[in-house]
Amino acid sequence: MGFFSPDGLLLGFSVVALIAIYLRSRARPIINVSSLMLFEQLPAPVVKSRILKLDLLFWLELLALSAITLAAAGFYVAGRRPVGRHQLHALVFDLGAGMGALDGRVSRLEEARALARHLITSAPAGDEFTVIGYGLEANILAAPSRDPRPALAALDKLQAQAIAPRPSALRAALIDAHGAAAIDIFADRRPAEDVVSQTSPRGVVKLHQVGKPVDNVAIAGLDPGVPRSSGGHCVLRNFSSRPAQCQLELDLNGRQFDHTSLIIEPRAQAIVGFRPLTEGGLLHARIATHDALIMDNERFATAPSTAQANVLVLSPDPDARDDLARIAVAINPNFVVTALDPAQYKSSGAAKRRYALAILHDCNPSGINAAARLFVFPEPLLKGSHRTPVANVPGSVAAVELESRQDTGPLTTPTLLGPSRILSLPGWMDALATGAPLDGHDSFPVAAVGRQLDGRVGVLAFDVRDHLLLDPDRLDALVLTIDTLKQVTAPEDIKVVSTGSFVTISTFAPAKLISPDNSIRQLQPDQWGRVRFRPLEVGHYAIRGPNRATEVYANYYDVAESDLSSLAAPLDRKAVNHSLPPPHVEIFPRPVGLALIALAAFLVLAESAFITRRAIYWGTPHV
Amino acid sequence: MLIARAFDPDFLQRLDALTLGIKRARTIRTGRRTVGRVLGPGLEPEDFRDYSAGDDLRFLDWNTFARLEDLTVRTFRAERQVELTIMLDTSASMAVPESDDKFGLAVILGTALAYIAMGENDSVRLAAFGGSAEKSRWLTTPSYQRRESFFAFRQFVSGLKCQGDTQLSMAVADLLRTRHHPGIVVAISDFLVSPADYEDALTQLLTARHEVKVIHIVGDREYTGFYPPGAYRVRDCETGELREVVFGAQQSALCRQRIEEHSARLANFCERHGIVYSRAFGASNLDAIMRREFPRLGVIA
Repeated sequence: MGFFSPDGLLLGFSVVALIAIYLRSRARPIINVSSLMLFEQLPAPVVKSRILKLDLLFWLELLALSAITLAAAGFYVAGRRPVGRHQLHALVFDLGAGMGALDGRVSRLEEARALARHLITSAPAGDEFTVIGYGLEANILAAPSRDPRPALAALDKLQAQAIAPRPSALRAALIDAHGAAAIDIFADRRPAEDVVSQTSPRGVVKLHQVGKPVDNVAIAGLDPGVPRSSGGHCVLRNFSSRPAQCQLELDLNGRQFDHTSLIIEPRAQAIVGFRPLTEGGLLHARIATHDALIMDNERFATAPSTAQANVLVLSPDPDARDDLARIAVAINPNFVVTALDPAQYKSSGAAKRRYALAILHDCNPSGINAAARLFVFPEPLLKGSHRTPVANVPGSVAAVELESRQDTGPLTTPTLLGPSRILSLPGWMDALATGAPLDGHDSFPVAAVGRQLDGRVGVLAFDVRDHLLLDPDRLDALVLTIDTLKQVTAPEDIKVVSTGSFVTISTFAPAKLISPDNSIRQLQPDQWGRVRFRPLEVGHYAIRGPNRATEVYANYYDVAESDLSSLAAPLDRKAVNHSLPPPHVEIFPRPVGLALIALAAFLVLAESAFITRRAIYWGTPHV
Repeated sequence: MLIARAFDPDFLQRLDALTLGIKRARTIRTGRRTVGRVLGPGLEPEDFRDYSAGDDLRFLDWNTFARLEDLTVRTFRAERQVELTIMLDTSASMAVPESDDKFGLAVILGTALAYIAMGENDSVRLAAFGGSAEKSRWLTTPSYQRRESFFAFRQFVSGLKCQGDTQLSMAVADLLRTRHHPGIVVAISDFLVSPADYEDALTQLLTARHEVKVIHIVGDREYTGFYPPGAYRVRDCETGELREVVFGAQQSALCRQRIEEHSARLANFCERHGIVYSRAFGASNLDAIMRREFPRLGVIA
């Protein structure tokens, strides 16, 4: 409490003056009478008149005068308000798959949307709103504006994505909302505290946790097996704390070939096997029963073709040749492998055949007619050689450690791979894994795939001699090799990918992307003729180019995001708020002049009413 | 305001059937306005007498002369009009307390008497008195006889302002200075003057052979002494003199006692001198006052 102007306190002396006037006027009211003759018999007053009469009128007038004086002096009280007169509200939405889960008939995102809409409509005029969504990354969906319509329109366009939200995306969203006085996070699960605290938001951070624990069954994996050879299996997982009844449907190339009903134990997984597929193609598994999250209720896989294909394996090392041939046959038993020393290749009849895949270890003979080529430990460019290297190999290292893979991220324990070439990838190739030399810090790609006009190309930078691929302690090398081989030999017109990953298709021309929701987007190729997109929905994407069409099927599964029952009871909001940074508020003077004047007016009215009542009762203006 | 009611047709209608009686004509029938057996010009024959030189030839009874050959003169009873003067006190005390409307009460009673008197074509005029010792105020209306002229009084009473002192003696002196024939004088006042003053004034009127009627006006608050309790300073509205008093129940009783004493003294004086005394205490009691006091004033239904 205080005064805007201390000089205004001088007005306080007016109270004294006014009280003096008041007392003077009230000391002895004068009554006009017709003649003093009528009062001759009245005795003289025996009591001195009271100067100060502490009756109701006195207190009413004293309060009224004090209120007026304080109002004139600019009396104020200290108020607290969030930083900013017109507050900026940042509405941050989790757009992960869990937000698409249905709680009854309403999704969690719908619930969050309703909460946010109420916040916008109930906010004081002049407040600004911005809408930010985060999933794989943060996106400002509505820029800060005092006009609520863009924010409301952005709310309507919010859509849950078939991905698990990344903490880094939330961090980026909070950074985008850094200037906001109030940050409202709408999520179905509590974000990590360090994510919020590290961004140090200036405004009040409030978590609106939506949703309640619900049951969910997801397809965790789908293995098509080997057509006509070995059966496949589908992995189902029950995330609820009670048994779940489930019906699984399997179809191959659009034809259903299996329908299984089963009951899965609480928080357990079930493996549903099926007989060997009769042919290769697209395998589709689908949970027919209803549960909360439909994104993880279907999964796609491609089964290798049953048609025989020739594979050429060239390596100067017999052991390596043998290992690579075994792996190729393991991937597809229909491969007919021809393994040769590079020195013998020209002279043999193998050079005249057409191959579906050529695996070239530490060699690069010319004249190979193959639809796809995998270079293993590619030889560096030699002076005077006329052969075009698939990748620039500036040098070699004696040993390299596999550090990170594109699909799984950094390895918890690096895998020692042995000698390796240092690769400098061309732009049309994508790295699948990176490694670093033992004695160095600069990492380089150790596995990559790409496509040229004459076919697919894969590269493994490390050497596979000394049965590296069969070493049980270095299984990562084998897995990386198999994955690379699968990508190189995968059908060109069909792809199965994970949601959230970048999909690269070589179209060499502009192409149309038709999403599962039938929306169409035009994709422009880069300088190497590739179009890229990132599927955020589960289902079928079609890429239509002028010369070729590619079908992409996106799968979603995330063990944390699909676990919709792990939310348990709603979080204690007090605890959440307590753990969040304290709100930034400022203390400002709140004028109370108007209230004081209103109080004075009320007091004067009350006094007038009191006086009038007395005047009416006594029939005289002197009261 | 009672002044407005004084000229209200409904109120006047109640007065139509009333007649103002005159003490000296009590022996004759009601409504006769002759005063005494005074010979003079008139319409009512009184007697016959022998003609003497100088008699008005218009009064010769030519029929008697033709039959008896004697000159006989017919005499008539003289008709004298009753002149009614209603004196209204317009001193400042008549306006205090304001809520009592003492002046309004005085006006309505005075005009009512005037209206009644004009019913018999009596000559009526209103007079207002007040002012100060240095310059008294004496205002009169012309004398009106017919009721059609009654509303001429409205402008007169509407223009009266209560101010100054109650100069009753000076007002009577002014009245006697302009009047020669005795009539009826009705003095309407609160008589808040010294007894010597009003006794002197009333004695002068009696000496001039006027029939005097007194209406004593007292306000409701004055009579009840009903003042808000507490310490006050009372100010005489005529003299401006101040006095400190403390009002309470006991003081109210003393005020009532004082007004009763004042009224009793005035009434006693009037009774001793053959003056009709009428109490008009409280404007709220107008109907009761008219019902009770008008007969006392000679108003006959």
